[in-house]
Order: sequence, then structure tokens, then C-alpha cells
Amino acid sequence: MAAWGGVSRLWRRGCQGLGTFPVNYSSRDMPKQYRFLLNKDLLWVQFSGFHTDLHHHKDNSLISISDEPDTLYRKLSVLVKGHDKTVLDSYEYFAVLAAKELGISIEKIHEPPRKIERFTLLKSIHIFKKHRVQYEMRTHYRCLELKHLTGSTADVYLEYIQRNLPEGVAMEIKKTKLEKLPEHIQKPIWDKLPSVEETATGALETGH
Amino acid sequence: MGVILQNRAARVRVGKGDKPVTYEQAHPPHYIAHRKGWLSLHTSNLDGEGGAAERTVEDVFIRKFIYGTFHGCLANEIVLKRRANVLVVCAVFLQRLPPYKFYFLVGYTETLLSFLYKCPVRLEVQTVPEKVIYKYL
Repeated sequence: MAAWGGVSRLWRRGCQGLGTFPVNYSSRDMPKQYRFLLNKDLLWVQFSGFHTDLHHHKDNSLISISDEPDTLYRKLSVLVKGHDKTVLDSYEYFAVLAAKELGISIEKIHEPPRKIERFTLLKSIHIFKKHRVQYEMRTHYRCLELKHLTGSTADVYLEYIQRNLPEGVAMEIKKTKLEKLPEHIQKPIWDKLPSVEETATGALETGH
Repeated sequence: MGVILQNRAARVRVGKGDKPVTYEQAHPPHYIAHRKGWLSLHTSNLDGEGGAAERTVEDVFIRKFIYGTFHGCLANEIVLKRRANVLVVCAVFLQRLPPYKFYFLVGYTETLLSFLYKCPVRLEVQTVPEKVIYKYL
């Protein structure tokens, strides 16, 4: 009974996303386009109540190929802050492991000092000024600096990191982008300009 | 002035030894982050983050709402987790109602709270035969 309840909850969650539910369907009767989805007895059939496109699953729009060169980042700084230091420790281990798996070089991992915000309030609702209560809120930090990343790698890594961010932990990202020098300052000016007259420069100096 | 009646916040007073008390109730608030965890996890109390008042009001409402819908079935305080727009409510219930009633109430709270707060609300439920007693005070 409990197992069915759990399965029904999974179905409910799954159905919320795609709008499909499994149905017993023998392999002979089913059309060819569904054959690759065959999972022995169960087959996902489109439910008419939701607006889902049948061919949506075929077009894999996640991978895109473009001719423009990818943006380069010299440094990617990920700062996480939270109330609990052990949570930040485990998150740092996870982020470092993910970076190593993707082949991203880690520059350094350092821990900025914690910040404590304290305030003092009156203990009683009326009078008793001498008796107060003190509260504090501690924020611990952890900074992970990665170097030499491409734009697509950074996007993938950050998306993965952010989807698995634990509750109660906030993140700030700083990206240092490498850009190509614009054309008009690629070569030094003194190579191209014609030789300037002496009098003109003298006038400029005195005028200023 | 005297040593009596110093602090009374979230502390269960010592009695004859017949009062059952859970782990959460037994520890006074200065044990948070040492022996206790937080009951409500969100980022608005961190340095440089806003929205603390709104989150607190939401938390209070959700606690009262669930205390009311599952009347007499709560074994422990509710834990609220906020993960990027999703609100996860973790609750431990006593097995005082038949399972089909539990499932209905869980679905009802989930849909009602998600319509109210305009964000997906998930209720993670665990049932326990009796309240888990830590000690008797």
C-alpha cells in the first residue's frame, strides 16, 4: 500500500513535467517511433490534457554550434556564504570534485574571515531598561577561484554548481573576462602618425 | 538581581521527572549550531541579503497552517528549506490517521501553499508510531 503511494507520487512528479503516463502496451501494436522508448512492459503514452509536442523529445536543443569564438575567462571567483561552516566544507568538497572531473584548473581555495552581526534588544515588552537580550547572526565565507575557463565550460560548471546549492547557502560569482584588444589600439600610435612639427607641439604645451 | 529567573526563552523547566520532552524541546537556544540545527533554512539572514521579514512571516504562517491541518499529528517541529524558489516542508507525523487521509492532506497543503506563495511547495513526510522522547524532565 505504501509502495503504491510512493509510486503514485513519482508518477505525479513525472507527469507534472512531461504530461505522460505509462501504459501497458505490447510491442507488436505500438508504432515504430515509440519503439526506442520501450521499457519491457511500460510505455509512456502522451496524455491529451497537457500541451506537449511529440517531436519535442527528438530535437535536442541543448547542444548548439556556432561559428563565433567562445568567450574566455581569466578567473572565475565563486564565493559561497552560509550560516553553517560544515555545510560550506562539504559544498567546497563537492565543487572541487566537480571542477576536477571537468578538468578545470583551480587557482586557490581560501576562507575569508567570518562576519558576525550583533544587536542588543530590550528583554521585556515594557520598562526594565537594564535587562537586555543580545542576538547575533554569523556568516561564514568560502571562496573558490578557478582560472583559464572557456565560456561554455563556465556555463556548464556554474549551472551544475547552482542546481546543487544547499538551502541556507548563498553564492556570488565574479567573472574576469578576457577580451581581444579593439582594432584601433592594437598597434602603437607613434608608428603610424606622420612626424609632427616642433612649433605645433610647443603651442600645445604653452596653451595648456 | 538574583540567580533565579535568568532566562526563560525556549526552555522547558525541570519538573518531577514525568514530563516527556523531545530532543528539539530539551535544548535551549544557545545550543543552536552546536547541538541543534536550524528549523528554517533560507539565505535572507546572511550578510548583504534581503527579504528576512517576508521569509519569517511565510514561515510562521506555514507552521500554523500545518499545525492546524494535521491536528495532533505533529511529532516534532517542522523544518522549512528554501532551494531556489522551491519550498520544501519536512515534517514528522504520528500515525494517528489512516494513510489515505494523510495523502489527501499532503496533496491539499501542497496545492494550497503553492497557489498562495506562487512557488512549488513540496511536503516531505515521515511517519512515526509515537513521539521520539529524548528525556523526561
